[in-house]
Amino acid sequence: MQNLIELLQFPFMQRAIAGGILLGLLGGLLGCFVTLRQLSFFSHAVGHAALVGIALGVLLQLPLNSMLLPFTLVFGLVVLYLIDQTDLWSDNVLSIVLSGALATGVILTSFIQGYRGNLMGILFGDILAINYADLILTGLLFLGSSIFLLLTLDQQILLTLNQAIAKVQGISVQLHRYLFVILLSLSVAVSIKAVGILLVNAFLVIPASTAKLVSHQFTKFLWLSLILGVLSSIAGMLASGVFDFASGPSIVLVQFIFFLAFLGFSKLNRKNSETLKKR
Amino acid sequence: MNSDPPDAAIAPHLCSKPVTPVLKVENLTVYQGTYAAVESVSFELPAGTNTAVVGPNGAGKSTLVQAILGLLPFAAGSVEILGCPLARLGNLRYQVGYIPQNFIFDRGFPLSVSELVGLGWVNHRLSNSSQLPSFPRWRMVLPWQTSYRKAAAIAQAMERVDVYHLRDRAIGNLSGGQLKRVLLAHCLVMSRRLLVLDEALAGVDLQGEADFYTLLNQLKREHGWTVLQVSHDLDMVSRHCDRVLCLNRHLVCQGQPEEALSPQNLLNAYGPSFSRYQHQH
Repeated sequence: MQNLIELLQFPFMQRAIAGGILLGLLGGLLGCFVTLRQLSFFSHAVGHAALVGIALGVLLQLPLNSMLLPFTLVFGLVVLYLIDQTDLWSDNVLSIVLSGALATGVILTSFIQGYRGNLMGILFGDILAINYADLILTGLLFLGSSIFLLLTLDQQILLTLNQAIAKVQGISVQLHRYLFVILLSLSVAVSIKAVGILLVNAFLVIPASTAKLVSHQFTKFLWLSLILGVLSSIAGMLASGVFDFASGPSIVLVQFIFFLAFLGFSKLNRKNSETLKKR
Repeated sequence: MNSDPPDAAIAPHLCSKPVTPVLKVENLTVYQGTYAAVESVSFELPAGTNTAVVGPNGAGKSTLVQAILGLLPFAAGSVEILGCPLARLGNLRYQVGYIPQNFIFDRGFPLSVSELVGLGWVNHRLSNSSQLPSFPRWRMVLPWQTSYRKAAAIAQAMERVDVYHLRDRAIGNLSGGQLKRVLLAHCLVMSRRLLVLDEALAGVDLQGEADFYTLLNQLKREHGWTVLQVSHDLDMVSRHCDRVLCLNRHLVCQGQPEEALSPQNLLNAYGPSFSRYQHQH
């Protein structure tokens, strides 16, 4: 415990916890729509394809974010456009594009001369390396996402539930889809430094899916997803400090434990209600 | 429920033509790929009428209503709603309610009945109408500024279609008939002029269907709704609708039920293998 308190005094640990909370909030917010619109594989593909952006950045000797952010943004928009323009199922298109992007990324990394440690670190992330610029970027993205999604919350829910009714009601479904993909792609990009390509999707999918298990109202679902995102980050960071585990995976493991606990609770709850009905 | 003044108060800059008929369709042709699913269909819906579109499977009924609502593009012809061409409807879109043929959704979707009904409420429209005179036309209406009025309208709409007791229930736990009533409340939460039902009662039992029609007619009388509905149930149509359009890619006939649903017209629309079933209640 003493070690943990000492650890919390370090600025890098404080930045990491703040970053974890912001990423938990951002993932919890966007994750609500990612899970309901079945975009889990989309964000997964964008995360993995980011390897190309990172490799390009290293090759061109550019700062990480200056290549990663535009690349994931353009990649997300292009993939959505391709899904709209073909008669194939979206998961087919995503698999094709993901395979192509990963192959390109691996080939590009082979051109990188010398030490590749930083590149490998991107695969698993390092939340302890978050700096103030990353915090500001994540904070601004969360603020922008919150303003956009909460001001248009009814439209977002309606177009998620039934696009035909949304269109009849005058909602520009296509515009909203593309705007959401922009937010999603940027969120994946800013999360990669902290949790890495392999775990970035967890922030977008696990807290929201966990909240969905026990929610019957959208407002409760949204709040619970945000709370779980934040709690997982704090608990994961503290656990990583106490047990000296890697920070990003610790957060994801806590998210997973929450998911299992809520799954058990919802099953038990359903069983009890069915028993009461039979009586 | 507050009944609005005519749409001139809502979007005077868009259309200044008289608003009768509520819907005017002229020579509408819609292609599904290279196949003409609807050909040169013309009709008008006078205000306050309940009109059914009937015809065999594949006759283009759903295609017709989807084109009218702007959900499908049409190759030729024109559609005017409340005197406005479809492409220039703008805020008049909020005057149209729609219940689709298949309301398929994830049964685990975390949304309560009252939340679904509330999705029919549109703040932007209020900012342009006389319902909120304190808000100038140019000003954006933020969600919390109308939350009290919205909550009252939701409660009123749910009470009107008798689903208030279901307000906190998840929509995934509703029966087919209950869901249709909730969708009707979604349309009722704001005043509408045109309600379009695309086989909205498919999958609902006969009693539920009869109750829904009775409710629909009450609402039509009280709120002056004009209803356009696609239906396969000719017996219910002849009992509850004022007008019938018989469609089989083109318009075979139109008129009052007793005239449009005559054996000869039904033979022309459905072909010689058609036999009509009548409910016993």
